[in-house]
Amino acid sequence: MPTDRISKLFKLSLDPQTVKQWKRFRSIKRGYYSAVVLVFLLVLSCFAELFVNSRALIVSYEGKWYFPTYGGVISGETFGLDYDYETNYRELQQHFKEQDANNWVLMPLVPYNPFENDFSTTYGAAGPSFATKHFLGTDQTGRDILARLVYGFRIAMGFSLVLLVCSYVAGIAVGCAMGYWGGAFDLLFQRLIEIWNTIPFLYVIMIVASVVVPNFWTLVIVMVMFGWTAMTWNMRTSTYKEKAREYVNAARALGAGNSRVVGVHILPNTISVIVTFIPFSIAGGVAALTALDYLGFGLPPPTPSWGELLRRGTQSLDKPWIVASVAVAVILVLLMVTYIGEAIREAFDPKKFTYFE
Amino acid sequence: MKRFIELFILFAVAGLVCSSIAQNDASDAKKIAPEDLLPDELPQNLLWQTNNDDPEFASPDAIRGGTFHTWMLAYPLTMRTVGPDSNGRFAGFLRPIQFGPIAFHPQTRLPIPMLATHWALGDDGRSMYFRIHPDAKWSDGERVTADDFVFNLHFMRSEEIVAPWYNNYYTERIKDVKKYDELTYGVKGADAKPEIEMFANYAVGARPEHFHELTDTWVQDYNWKPEPTTGPYHVATMEDGKYVEFERTENWWANDLRYVRNRFNPEKIRVTVIRNESTAWLHFLNGELDSFGLTIPEYWHDKSKHDVFKRGYVAKYWFYHRLPVPSAGMYLNTAKPLLDDVNIRYGLAHSMNIERVIQTVLRGDYERLPTFQLGFGAYDNTSIRPRKFDLKKAAEYFKKAGFETRGRDGIRVKKDEDGNVIARLSFLVTYGTPIHEDRLVVLREEAKKAGVDLRLELLDSSASFKKMLEKKHEIAWLTWSSSGLAPRYWEHFHSDNANKPQNNNVTNTSIPEMDPLIMQFRASANLEERIGLAHTLERMVHDHGAVIPTYQVPYTRDAAWRWIELPEWLGTETSGSLINSQATSQGYSSGGLFWINEEKKEEILALKAKRKKMEPLTIIDQTYRIILDESTDVQEGQ
Repeated sequence: MPTDRISKLFKLSLDPQTVKQWKRFRSIKRGYYSAVVLVFLLVLSCFAELFVNSRALIVSYEGKWYFPTYGGVISGETFGLDYDYETNYRELQQHFKEQDANNWVLMPLVPYNPFENDFSTTYGAAGPSFATKHFLGTDQTGRDILARLVYGFRIAMGFSLVLLVCSYVAGIAVGCAMGYWGGAFDLLFQRLIEIWNTIPFLYVIMIVASVVVPNFWTLVIVMVMFGWTAMTWNMRTSTYKEKAREYVNAARALGAGNSRVVGVHILPNTISVIVTFIPFSIAGGVAALTALDYLGFGLPPPTPSWGELLRRGTQSLDKPWIVASVAVAVILVLLMVTYIGEAIREAFDPKKFTYFE
Repeated sequence: MKRFIELFILFAVAGLVCSSIAQNDASDAKKIAPEDLLPDELPQNLLWQTNNDDPEFASPDAIRGGTFHTWMLAYPLTMRTVGPDSNGRFAGFLRPIQFGPIAFHPQTRLPIPMLATHWALGDDGRSMYFRIHPDAKWSDGERVTADDFVFNLHFMRSEEIVAPWYNNYYTERIKDVKKYDELTYGVKGADAKPEIEMFANYAVGARPEHFHELTDTWVQDYNWKPEPTTGPYHVATMEDGKYVEFERTENWWANDLRYVRNRFNPEKIRVTVIRNESTAWLHFLNGELDSFGLTIPEYWHDKSKHDVFKRGYVAKYWFYHRLPVPSAGMYLNTAKPLLDDVNIRYGLAHSMNIERVIQTVLRGDYERLPTFQLGFGAYDNTSIRPRKFDLKKAAEYFKKAGFETRGRDGIRVKKDEDGNVIARLSFLVTYGTPIHEDRLVVLREEAKKAGVDLRLELLDSSASFKKMLEKKHEIAWLTWSSSGLAPRYWEHFHSDNANKPQNNNVTNTSIPEMDPLIMQFRASANLEERIGLAHTLERMVHDHGAVIPTYQVPYTRDAAWRWIELPEWLGTETSGSLINSQATSQGYSSGGLFWINEEKKEEILALKAKRKKMEPLTIIDQTYRIILDESTDVQEGQ
């Protein structure tokens, strides 16, 4: 949708600078389409339960409709089966077909969740098959690889975004403060950050992982603790640069306080620095989590994760579908993110668009 | 900062090490009481025994010669067999090549002569006397004399070897070793034991007195000086970081001993460093290694579909044996809420679909372990059957414990009178072996059906074991290694060990009726009484329900190139592995039965070069398989 229409639609008046950058971004096809595809996948993965799930979308049983996807467990007894644990909807579907009554089950596209072990065709890993609806096969414990990829993608992207927000907030705040105040404060924090940076991050993760089971949030905390420093240097430099500009002096002369000067005047002008780093940080986050899981220091089993799949795949290269699907997925996502990053960098490149043209 | 962190880690590690050492560090300078010493003169009334009547188990067809190629994951850190770093995997090569005074016959399980020709038991029930073989020699040509045995005690007690565990053992358990003449010595242990267990515990071995000089720097000085041996092989070549080569001792003194002839046939054994298992597998397929263990299902079923198997160059052997079974199981911490209720414990046992794990992930190759300890012959209580996966029984037990309904997520909950949820059937399973993840995820999915939520906690192996020893776990997924001649109860189930950190009672079992029986079992020197007690105790362990035994692997599976030949009977009842160059495993003198047929090797290599086929060979030998009769299933008592 063209930008002017967006702004009309939402009654927004976008900064002409932003409009120009957006147009430029859109004109870089590779990056633009990558962004479209990635955002689409991300949105889809938020509703993964509707596409990849062992729970049915709709069950019609004796004239009553059930929607098991979200919500509690519906026991087998509800549908006239002889067990009180969660209904196996694939079997239920088969069962209803054989009964030939008016009951029916609508299953998602991939009728497996990422945890269940399907050993119905073979023990151990099974290759891709349309008949069993394991479109990318199963791993050594009979879990559907596509399901694990999808849920793993959601976790990895979620992790990456949370990590991004947390470390950017910390990094930008400290970086801005360093650049804005300068002097002793700047000097002190520079040294602190330098010292902090020398702590070997992987060892810390290994120690943490050997003492407690890392979960999503402990991993985020540890990674933010060591990840926020990267952003400070860039923010410090750009704040220094902007601080010396006339418009900052003007704002000061008008009596604006520190927070107003930094928040309203300096920060928006450093946004291009921040934005260009975002895609690479996301890629970094995904890669870091995958690497940690691969090494066994990441999220605890049985959490679906790409790193774990990669490890399983490389351990049994005689079952190529495992390593192939996850390798392709990792490459595609990192490639798309990198294309987006490139496009954004180009769109924001001050050599093309600058106030001093 | 970096240094600070490093220091911190160093302290933490040092603290851990110290706390574990401190327990063993009993002062070795303790004075031995006079009643613990052997008499000055050899008692007159001794009844000297030997054993030359048991069947031989090596093949007379064996051919001497050739080099056997095997592998190790890492180069050993030392060639010492005691002291720091000596307990690595390479000790498995070094220790068995020292003969003891006696060993156990791998079929009859009776003592057989090795370094000693005769032995006699003192009338106090805790002393033994041995006559050394007059021809016995160290691999450097020196004679083995009684001094070497006396020296061993002194050596094991000395601080110079930096081995607190041995210092303690040879002070607390072995009280005296005395020389009577050049070829006769005696040993006195701490307590009276049944005869057969005295052989296992009090048959102190020899240590070459002429070789060791106990100085403060002994640990460093002897790092790379392999000890002379009394067994068939000695270390001949060490290529740092690459391989270690053993050579058969020339004119070995024991060549013609009844239970040794036709064994230990390869002239050399080369142990090459290969850094990971999958690479080692490729070396094996290339013929650079002579044999490879196939016990893991994936190897036996999938990886061995390779051409070298199909074309018959490599044979597969599946051989059932009867050795003490490692106690693999789920150990429920009875000191934790919910798990203190026997109904919950029984219910959990019936919620664990171990049969499915065995059928799927383990390919039906493993067998269900019926009870905690097994594989000790007459001590085994074979009337016990495991609690099998049974949702009805599980539900009954859970209902008895107050878990009548299920929550929204399908997990059982306990409600108070007002209908508020006060407890949920959710347990943390701690484990330290990443490869067991496959087994646990299947158990977890199946347990949901019973309304049980298992949360998996994978820790680094030492951290997970530490957590279990400190009794901080809820359910420990753990395998105790098993050895010796009789089951052990005190360390696992006596109330002395309950609710205290750093001991093996990880279930915190404390049953007043059980304690006196355990003490009686420990003190008894009467074999029949001990067997009876073991049966009772094993039943009590089962009834207590704090251990959910999982699976056992009562066999060895090996692949070997066809030039490696075995006796017709492949191995013995107690063979740990068929292609085994070591003299003893678990005390049984079962190793070294195979030989290398050099002519056949050339033939096979020629065939391989031309890609011609041979008849493939897979042998499954069930001679020693124990099949429990399911029809005599005994219901658990309560």
